[in-house]
Amino acid sequence: MIDQNSKTLLEVRGLHANVSGIEILKGVDLTVRSGEIHAIMGINGSGKSTFAKILAGHPAYEVTAGTIIFNDRNLFDLDPEERARAGVFLAFQYPIEIPGVANNQFLRLAYNTVQSQRGKEELDPLEFDDFVREKMKLLEMSPDFLDRSVNEGFSGGEKKRNEILQMALLEPKLAILDETDSGLDIDALRIVANGVNQLTNKDNATILVTHYQRLLDYIVPDYVHVMESGRIIKTSGKELAKELEAHGYDWINADDGCSTTGVRA
Amino acid sequence: MNTMISNGYLENLIRSWQKPAAASLSWFDQLRANAMDNVNTLRMPTTHDEEWRFTDISPLSRLPYPAAYAAPQLQSSDIKHCYLAEAICRLVFVDGQYAPDLSNISNNAGAIIGNLSSLVAAHGDTIARYLGQLAEFQNDVFTALNTAFLHDSACIIIPQNVSVTTPIHLLFITTQKEITSYPRCLLIAESGSNATVVEDYVTTEEAAYVTNSVVEMNLADTAHVSHIRIQRDNQQAFHIGNCTVSLAQASQYYSVSITLGAYISRYNLNVTLAGEGAECTTDGLVLISGRQLADTHTFIDHVKPHGKSRQLHKCIVDGMAHGVFNGKIMVRPHAQLTDSSQLSRNLLLTNKARIDTKPQLEIFTDDVKCAHGATVGQLDKEEIFYLKSRGLSDLTARNLLTYAFGGEVIDRISISSLKRELEEIVLARTQIS
Amino acid sequence: MSAVLQNLVNQPYRHGFVTEIESDIAPKGLNEEIIRLISSKKNEPEWLLAFRLQAYEKWLSMTEPRWQNVKYPEIDFQSISYYSAPKPKKKLASMDEVDPELLRTFEKLGVPMHERAALAGVAVDVIFDSVSVATTYKEKLAEVGIIFCSISEAVHTHPELVKQYLGTVVPTGDNFYAALNSAVFTDGSFCFIPKGVKCPMDLSTYFRINTEGSGQFERTLIIAEEGASVSYLEGCTAPRFDTNQLHAAVVELIALDNAEIKYSTVQNWYAGDEKGVGGIYNFVTKRGLAKGVNSRISWTQVETGSAITWKYPSCILRGDNSVGEFYSVAVTNNYQQADTGTKMIHIGRNTRSTIVSKSISAGHSNSSYRGLVRVAPTAENARNYSQCDSMLIGDQCGANTFPYIQVNNNSAKVEHEASTSKIGEDQLFYFLQRGIGAEEAVSMIINGFCKEVFQQLPMEFAVEATKLLSFKLEGSVG
Repeated sequence: MIDQNSKTLLEVRGLHANVSGIEILKGVDLTVRSGEIHAIMGINGSGKSTFAKILAGHPAYEVTAGTIIFNDRNLFDLDPEERARAGVFLAFQYPIEIPGVANNQFLRLAYNTVQSQRGKEELDPLEFDDFVREKMKLLEMSPDFLDRSVNEGFSGGEKKRNEILQMALLEPKLAILDETDSGLDIDALRIVANGVNQLTNKDNATILVTHYQRLLDYIVPDYVHVMESGRIIKTSGKELAKELEAHGYDWINADDGCSTTGVRA
Repeated sequence: MNTMISNGYLENLIRSWQKPAAASLSWFDQLRANAMDNVNTLRMPTTHDEEWRFTDISPLSRLPYPAAYAAPQLQSSDIKHCYLAEAICRLVFVDGQYAPDLSNISNNAGAIIGNLSSLVAAHGDTIARYLGQLAEFQNDVFTALNTAFLHDSACIIIPQNVSVTTPIHLLFITTQKEITSYPRCLLIAESGSNATVVEDYVTTEEAAYVTNSVVEMNLADTAHVSHIRIQRDNQQAFHIGNCTVSLAQASQYYSVSITLGAYISRYNLNVTLAGEGAECTTDGLVLISGRQLADTHTFIDHVKPHGKSRQLHKCIVDGMAHGVFNGKIMVRPHAQLTDSSQLSRNLLLTNKARIDTKPQLEIFTDDVKCAHGATVGQLDKEEIFYLKSRGLSDLTARNLLTYAFGGEVIDRISISSLKRELEEIVLARTQIS
Repeated sequence: MSAVLQNLVNQPYRHGFVTEIESDIAPKGLNEEIIRLISSKKNEPEWLLAFRLQAYEKWLSMTEPRWQNVKYPEIDFQSISYYSAPKPKKKLASMDEVDPELLRTFEKLGVPMHERAALAGVAVDVIFDSVSVATTYKEKLAEVGIIFCSISEAVHTHPELVKQYLGTVVPTGDNFYAALNSAVFTDGSFCFIPKGVKCPMDLSTYFRINTEGSGQFERTLIIAEEGASVSYLEGCTAPRFDTNQLHAAVVELIALDNAEIKYSTVQNWYAGDEKGVGGIYNFVTKRGLAKGVNSRISWTQVETGSAITWKYPSCILRGDNSVGEFYSVAVTNNYQQADTGTKMIHIGRNTRSTIVSKSISAGHSNSSYRGLVRVAPTAENARNYSQCDSMLIGDQCGANTFPYIQVNNNSAKVEHEASTSKIGEDQLFYFLQRGIGAEEAVSMIINGFCKEVFQQLPMEFAVEATKLLSFKLEGSVG
């Protein structure tokens, strides 16, 4: 929902970043206010996943220029775990497997860490169990997930649901969903999207990073940005996604590719 | 083991060694003399040596067979059945002696192929740089002996960016009993080159003899070499083979070794991934029966980052035979991002058959992906049941599965006539009626 | 991030202090006279002296093994004192009578043993240096016929049992250090579970090396008769010294028909300082004989201490259907070296063995798994499964795997798997992104890595082990 009066949550200006000495982001600007859903689209290699990881503070990326203000704080001052505790959540494109660490143990530790940071009450294992089971219903997950090792042996769809479950537990201010739709069948996509929709409200914001339009049938964005070669080259309303789906990414360049505001009717 | 016997063995061989004339001490004679100096300082290994723990070679020590300096004349028709249809290029050595009449090196597709004596005039410097330099003879008595008795060698030089599309066939034939032959091969693959070499040991003899072979291969940047080794000596023979391979940056070495023959055989394959991003695959199949003993020792040495190695070694052991596998994978400090996997799989067909396997990892850097595994057992009962439930007899099911076990390695050979031939051998050896 | 990893290691040894207790120390050196002295000090029967002297004869003809993948300076066996015992003051009937200095030592170690014994229902046979000082719960155990005492006591109270079993699993001439132990052992635990008895509590011993320069040669003998079962816990901590101390224990387990012995160890002996100076040499021979049908021997170890650890708790599976198990976690840091693993010798029919080995190497340390699985021609349908995983923290350490598999029976099925991993940057980042700090993340990952082994430990040991690991690796990850 767009409300020009709502608080600016994320302000990215002139962001440049390298990985292994190669420049991937070449000046990204983006403003996200509370209550908004943004979609960042683009072909593989356009820099959209890099952007998502930089917001979360992944050590493999080196920021060379630009600023990011998150909730009135300089994001670069914060370590990855401090960002998480401040409310930045990244749903990973490839959630990592952690053998031997039980999912419920991991979820509870993450939950309690964030809760205590916010001055809220921590839950003991029994209380947490009730709490997490409730959240799992939202995502139609079997309680079996709790006893298994984190993401180990999970199918692609199960891993993605586990990511959204964590989002539901941690209640972030800014959720970044990196290709959350990839590898999901239509049922799983519906479940995941439904989960995300229930978690969005006027006080938080969501950035969807995706290659395809189909996720946007379920989670309707307020803004669609097209990223190419490390820059956002076009920004528009939700109908832009449909155009991209119909015509592919090439038509943007064929058209008024320099415009960042124009909407093709 | 009796050290008297061992020393006696070496002394006999040392005595039979012909010292090069002092006047003609070329680099080549110097190499041989150095190797002989080493033989003098070494002793025959015993089962007390970790590297020979499961392989008792004392029977060999009683057989100080002399080197065969003169080979009998063979007609091409005698050995035609050993030729490979796909190989246009062929080097034949009879009892360790080069046989130009049986060889065919005219269609070399731009490669330099021949025996040492014919190539040394034009390519002496190149050959001197590698011959005897890769295969260390300081600590290995058999390599030292081979080098000391070296008087000819198969030499293959693949010049820069030359791609030889048909296999080069190295055929080593033993025709006499009670001799020792010292086959030798040097392959120099210059940068960007590509070749397939078949190293093939056959015999027309039925009694005991000794083969002591040494192969050296140097692969320069981005060179690609496929190496197929087939050992089909008779079941009285002794076969000691050493192969040392050095891989420069981004080069690729792919090898399949098939061991079928010999009473006691030992194959040492040492591959050093000396350049970044080098890759090797070293597969093997050992199929033995009766009282045969076949010992395979491989050493894959990751020295530089981004190396990759793959290994599948299989043994099918029948009768009272004894299979030994020792596969060592070393990841040196700084060989970051090494990716290595190794699997030793073994099938015992009788309750007198025996397997000793030791897949071994030595890792000295943290960011690596290394896995190894070993299995020993008989055929999977579930698989047998599955086949029987589809109407196959117990025997047919077993034969099929045994064959399939070996077939997995044979399948990795790219030369179709050779693959067919080996399939038939494996089929014949694995079928019980 | 690796900076965080680097910082987690170099913590001072918490148990480094020397207790001031009067010791009765034998002159340094080893000869027949010293052996006779030990034997007479302990007032031993003639047959035991003969056992010692025979072992000494064998030891003289043996040479120190060098095949293991560890490096250390030559040990001068003549500069070691082979006997040291607190001077006996009087016979102790209860814990109250124990030297208060000794009790304080235990408190410093975090082992309030009377409390611990009461809370956990553990009977603690305390070994201080080489002589048994106090034994609790002995009477309760005696009610069901269990004998749990020091081996020197058992020599006097149950000579026929000691004589029958001592040296039957680890013969006097088994190896260099076992021969040495057999010649000079001073004390250790003896445990006998009679026919049909399930030991009602975990039996536990705390070992502690004290007097500087005195090697410790414990001898433990555990016998479970037909249908009996017992779980035995061994834990070690040692004070800090700059000269290396040799520790060469021998442990023998014997399980008769349908009997079960579970032996768990948490080893945290002084490992030397961050430069590799000092620390214990832990050269141990531990072997269990699954003698009867359906018997089971299970070894669980968490090895975090010692400058050098060299041990292979083994199972000889002689009884048909017998089972051998080995679960191990070995953690090395700084300049520690560990060469450890197991031997599973399958002799009986339908014998089964499981090996789970986890090693974590940090700093400049080196850890090797060395294991042997042997299937004899008689071992129809033998089964083994082995899994050996290594984790490396930093690029100065090493992890090696040497599995020997020898199969002589075609109905056997032997499987071995091994892998090497590190704590990946992406794994760590995943935790961080969820708000979990690096140290906690590393501790969770490591405990996850070792989970299959920790599950085998009795509850209170598992908690101790988990803490110990985090403590050992503190500062090495990040």
